[in-house]
Amino acid sequence: MNEPNSEQLLTVEHVTKSFGGVQAMRDGSFDLKRGEVIAIVGGNGAGKSTLAKIVSGAHVPDSGRICVKGVEITRADHSVSHMQSCGIEVVYQDLALVPNMTAPYNLFLGRVPRKWGLFVDQKKMREKTREVLKQLNVTTVQDLSQPISFMSGGQQQSIAIGRAIAWGSDIVILDEPTAALGPNETAEVERLIEDVRDQHGTSFILISHNLDQVRRLADRIIVTHHGVTSGEFKRNEITSDRLVKAITLGE
Amino acid sequence: MSTTKTDQSFFTPERVEKFRDYVPFIAIALVILMFWAICGDRFMSVRNWTFIAQQTPVLMLLAFAQLMIITTGSIDISIGSSLAFSAFLGALGMLWFGDVGLILGVFAGGLIGMINGCILSLLKIPSFVTTLAMLIIVRALVIIASDGTSIYITAGSGASGGNISSVAAPWLLSMGKFPAIFIVAVIVAVLMWIFYEKTIFGQQLRAIGGNEKVLRLVGINVTLFKIKVFAASGLMVGLAACVNLARAGAATPQAGMMMELDAIAAVALGGTPLTGGYGSVIKTIIGALTLTIVRNGLTIAGVPPSWSQIALGVLLIAAIAISLNRNKIDVVK
Repeated sequence: MNEPNSEQLLTVEHVTKSFGGVQAMRDGSFDLKRGEVIAIVGGNGAGKSTLAKIVSGAHVPDSGRICVKGVEITRADHSVSHMQSCGIEVVYQDLALVPNMTAPYNLFLGRVPRKWGLFVDQKKMREKTREVLKQLNVTTVQDLSQPISFMSGGQQQSIAIGRAIAWGSDIVILDEPTAALGPNETAEVERLIEDVRDQHGTSFILISHNLDQVRRLADRIIVTHHGVTSGEFKRNEITSDRLVKAITLGE
Repeated sequence: MSTTKTDQSFFTPERVEKFRDYVPFIAIALVILMFWAICGDRFMSVRNWTFIAQQTPVLMLLAFAQLMIITTGSIDISIGSSLAFSAFLGALGMLWFGDVGLILGVFAGGLIGMINGCILSLLKIPSFVTTLAMLIIVRALVIIASDGTSIYITAGSGASGGNISSVAAPWLLSMGKFPAIFIVAVIVAVLMWIFYEKTIFGQQLRAIGGNEKVLRLVGINVTLFKIKVFAASGLMVGLAACVNLARAGAATPQAGMMMELDAIAAVALGGTPLTGGYGSVIKTIIGALTLTIVRNGLTIAGVPPSWSQIALGVLLIAAIAISLNRNKIDVVK
């Protein structure tokens, strides 16, 4: 495993967000370096999903500052498509894929190549899909014409993560990437995350309830508590007990 | 790279899946064989098949319109009223502007579809309720606008007497007869197949039926797309209305009543789940054909109309029970 270098990719400073009268995020701050995997942990309603959605562009923060590669994102610019153009992609827990469509379609979601303006360029999609799967060392997906609902959960998650990196993203947000998967598939996805990080220098923001996984994968762990990023720990300087305490009590 | 799998059982999920895919084709073959056995040459005659070829196109076009909408997971039960409205405006257009005025009928269908799409996606009212309201409203509009009378298409140029409005358009009447109507149907079917299977639009139809939220998340304007779908489907209804006008030789206020249900039945007989995400143009054609053939065969066999409706209902349930894939439904919903 190589050490993340020092290039600062993302800085989030004191962002807030409320929905109606509910303050979902009161003070969120963290940063992310190239090739780094960080995890955001916290109990239900602690604000970790809100924080992730702010970074992905889905929520516009009420206040605070976000910089991607040294460029500040103004509130007017703050949108999913803008964040994508800055190299930030999200893999949502169960909202990442269209189950009745093929792997190539899902990989090209929102970017389907056109032929003569109106038609789908099937050939280009197939070729690129094979290329991406090869890059990811995913050899289990053979039939590209079947709906992905016929594939295993691990294969589906590979396609979802594949989509995030196929388009040259620097930062991938993973929202509970293995919550719905069995142990073998979880291991497969974790291997994929580490491979991609090592080979492409991609940074990951992992949102997870699974503290063992967090301790396995993340270089740093950010704890959220009642809408505040209350603590930050290096992987090797925290025990499970200490982490649970930080999550439940905000200490 | 090829991997060989050894299957323990003959009925592997893949094989059951494949079999389900063929249900509409098996059903139509059985239906044809059955009526051939019962009615003999009265059913299996050139004359009768010519009749079936004339009878199917309107239903087929309506089924295409319905297919687009059902694929996205919505439903449109206003297309019968829309057909009457479009046929009426098409006939009126011909009265006002001559032959080209018929195009007004096509656009009228598109307009109603677009209104449906706007209500559905901007006011967020479920398609069933939206189109139910439109079914009632549009039918009433036709009756008000036509004052309950029909506009006839005539072959001769002789003036018609009294208050009866009529348009002389022998070309249109000949379009409603066998070779022409069949050729039009084939051309539309081929275009529809290309549109549905090969274009970005067709692909998006299925994707929206599969998981609309994902498409919104990746920044696709789903609201606008749905309006486009309903408008495109409406144009198809408008076209069906023109074909119906040619076949019936008149735009009547009652035209197209219950046709929305036939169209849904045809799509369902084609094995398309009403929950969206999947669909096939070819199987929808087979569905429309099956429906027409069953009606036709039962009539020839001398079954009273009410009983033949019961037979159709039973057939519909049987066909869907076999072709419906619970796996797919689980995933889609």
